[in-house]
Amino acid sequence: MFTRTDDKITSSQAAVFLTNTLLGAGILTLPRNVTQTMETPDAWLTILLGGAAMLGIVLLMVKLCLQFPGQTVFQYAGKIIGKFPGKLVGMILILYFISVAGFEIRTLAEVTTFFLLEGTPPEAVVLPFIWVGVYLVLGGINSIARLFQIVLPISILVLLVSFGVSLRLFDINHLRPVLGSGIMPVLRGMKTAILIYAGCEVVLTLVAFVQEPKQAVKAMLGGIAIPIFLYLLTVVFVIGCLSVDSVVTSTWPTIDLVRSFEITGFFIERLEFPFMVIWLMQMFCNFSSFFFQASLGISQIFNVQLRPIIFMLAPAIFIATMLPRSLQDVFTLGDTIGYLGLGMFFLLPLMLSLIWMIRKKGTKGHV
Amino acid sequence: MSSLMSFVPSWHIWVLSIAAFLVPFLLSKIFARVHDFIKSGGNFKTASAPSPSSSSVERMPFSGDYAADIRSVLHVIGENSDLVIRKFPMSKLDAQGTLFYMDGMQQQRELNMRILEFFMFELTRDMLSIPFNGNGLLPFYTLKEATDAIEFSRLVLFGHAGVIVEGVPCGLLIQNPNTSNRAIVEPLSEALLRGPRLGFTEVLSENTSMLRRQGFSEQLEMRSYRIGNTLPKDVVIAYFKDIVNADLLKEVEARVSNIDIDFLADSGYIEQLIEDNYLSPFQQLQNTERPDRVINGLLEGRVAILQDGSPFALIAPATFSMLLQSPEDYYERWIPSSLLRMLRFFAAFLSLLAPSIYISFISFHPGLIPTELVLSIIETRQGVPFPSLIEVLILELAIEILREAGIRLPKPIGPAMGIVGGIIVGDAAVQAGIVSPILVIVVAVTAISSFSMPSYSAGITLRLLRFFGMIFAAILGMFGTILFFLLLCSHLSRLKSFGVSYLTPVSPYRLQDWKDLFIRAPISLMKKRPAMMKTRQERRQT
Repeated sequence: MFTRTDDKITSSQAAVFLTNTLLGAGILTLPRNVTQTMETPDAWLTILLGGAAMLGIVLLMVKLCLQFPGQTVFQYAGKIIGKFPGKLVGMILILYFISVAGFEIRTLAEVTTFFLLEGTPPEAVVLPFIWVGVYLVLGGINSIARLFQIVLPISILVLLVSFGVSLRLFDINHLRPVLGSGIMPVLRGMKTAILIYAGCEVVLTLVAFVQEPKQAVKAMLGGIAIPIFLYLLTVVFVIGCLSVDSVVTSTWPTIDLVRSFEITGFFIERLEFPFMVIWLMQMFCNFSSFFFQASLGISQIFNVQLRPIIFMLAPAIFIATMLPRSLQDVFTLGDTIGYLGLGMFFLLPLMLSLIWMIRKKGTKGHV
Repeated sequence: MSSLMSFVPSWHIWVLSIAAFLVPFLLSKIFARVHDFIKSGGNFKTASAPSPSSSSVERMPFSGDYAADIRSVLHVIGENSDLVIRKFPMSKLDAQGTLFYMDGMQQQRELNMRILEFFMFELTRDMLSIPFNGNGLLPFYTLKEATDAIEFSRLVLFGHAGVIVEGVPCGLLIQNPNTSNRAIVEPLSEALLRGPRLGFTEVLSENTSMLRRQGFSEQLEMRSYRIGNTLPKDVVIAYFKDIVNADLLKEVEARVSNIDIDFLADSGYIEQLIEDNYLSPFQQLQNTERPDRVINGLLEGRVAILQDGSPFALIAPATFSMLLQSPEDYYERWIPSSLLRMLRFFAAFLSLLAPSIYISFISFHPGLIPTELVLSIIETRQGVPFPSLIEVLILELAIEILREAGIRLPKPIGPAMGIVGGIIVGDAAVQAGIVSPILVIVVAVTAISSFSMPSYSAGITLRLLRFFGMIFAAILGMFGTILFFLLLCSHLSRLKSFGVSYLTPVSPYRLQDWKDLFIRAPISLMKKRPAMMKTRQERRQT
């Protein structure tokens, strides 16, 4: 076939899709969030541990999905736990996706109105963003994946350059002592460290779109490994450059890091600008990914066409975006989403896999 | 409860949420409507008149009666003032003959010297034995006989030289059209420093022969179509039959043969009639004047469409990266070529976004550029009474008008006007305080960058999109510019040309094809055909 009519993506696209879904708001706030709960510079250890846990969870999800080739969680949840509970689980997932999407845009609006467009009402930032998102999502998973593949290399490049340039502020002593207060703070921080991977539920739907399911495991693990690595880098550099004390007091520690030095003799003296650019693009990817997942879910659960759903979801997401009254609310929402996400991507696949295994054993016994 | 109530957004959020739904919904409805409207050919489709080619059904066979046959030919085409009729006696036959041809479509010298001489003094009865074509004794290379007066007249009209001989019950078409052509010159729009200087002309047979002469291959196949209702024209689809993907070929053939139009004035008509998305600012077929470029495209597994009367061949499918590639990249050594190619990507970026970035920096985020630069910009902008958008628009429009005027002007005046327009007006505008000198630099860089696009059509697209980017930037600053960029990327990622995603090979990643994307790898490394074309042969034969 020359013209592809099936909605499949290559495994590299799937990996990038997952990476772009995860890499978002976390990059700006992660160092503070983790450090606040830990109060030691061992955040990087926490990220590593959290990352290892995530690899396991993702592996579990992929394995579960591979039991139902070509089907998303919205379709096979019903087969595992029965029609009605399956739909209920799907609905919860959708609500979750919508609130994450709303949260992402709200963070974006807050950052934008704080750094770039002071005095602009957040609605003016949010609305066009959603509109462009609608346009992209209407193109289907293939278009989304293609856009992601353009954005991700740029993002990684700018991130690495920003961190590379900030090396001159880097002081290894800021990261010491390792395990100064024992292992307990590291474990306490685990909770936050896993929260930043909220959104990796997309694996449950993404695997259905992978062209060669055999490579799905590799693709998904690769897709999660990139954000783990980037988050690790972020935490190491932000804490290493700014020290624990200033990270805890800063609202957006990563931006503060990028703002804290000037490269003289360059057209753009501060890397804050390119950093903001790639971060905005990254948020767009994030948002459109969740947007797509939510609309896909609705269309599959209720067996309706995807296109109208996408239009209908736009106002829903807009309202979800506008619900928090203040920045404080946004952060609270972020935490809540994190907890919800913990349930979603930890308990859900575990539960589904267990029930599936029991049922499969059961049927085997009968045969 | 009351704390929960405080989360309920105020009414204007609800109103805006309706807007969040309506704007994309209505826009997509409108676009879909317009697209369908264009695709269906507006209202004209239903009123499509029966094609006048039905006259060919009419028949008027030659009777064999010399005078009557002449009359019937004259009845069909005798009204044309450029019809040349020469009656002549044939001495050996002792009979009359008449030569018909259209003025200017035959070489008169040849007719006089060879043909009339032959007919008048050498033609014998034996030579006129029927049939003429097979073992005919008439010394004509392209001899055709027409048994029908109407067909005979048509072919004479199209430029053949025809003869009717007394006692022969059919017309003889003795010479193919032989008109004067424009000389083959270097391609104007795609001139190169190094590489073949050959460019297509308006004559289809010459163009196809140029393709044939590129190399010896029995696999290069060309299929001819006649397209146009009122004034049909020959269109040729060229491809390598052992390379091209069969589905792609079928798709191109189907689209070309479905063209429903009066007259194709240029291959640009074909391009617009068979492209995928009528509303996209991006060209979805590549046009080129260069036979070498066409052949290279064909060897990659693409299909070329040539049209009689147009020196521009179309290559389908086209991808975004093709717009920024020049054939010269392959003719020069790979290191400079790769650098030039990257330079072109950068130039494309500049010509698209430089004014937007200027607007967003000046109007929204002066804090993001170095302080000294801000100070000097502010100093020079002090006297400028306009917001930066208006300022940029004034100068950008001036440049666009200058450019448009420069194309129309005859060659001797063009450069003079460039100097008057560009230098004097630009300088005077700065002196008068209408625009700031920094902006002149920005606009000049933008304009020059857009000149560096290897294809004019690609440059035009970027010129057009630049203005939308400026509006986005004027409304939302840097955020708007990024939004514009994302919108553009979204559009590109949705766009397809003949089933090939417009962004391949940028995405999906096909590392193998990346050897010929931002860089141009050494030729010895490019052993495979582009994966995106899904060709029959993967390897280039060595």
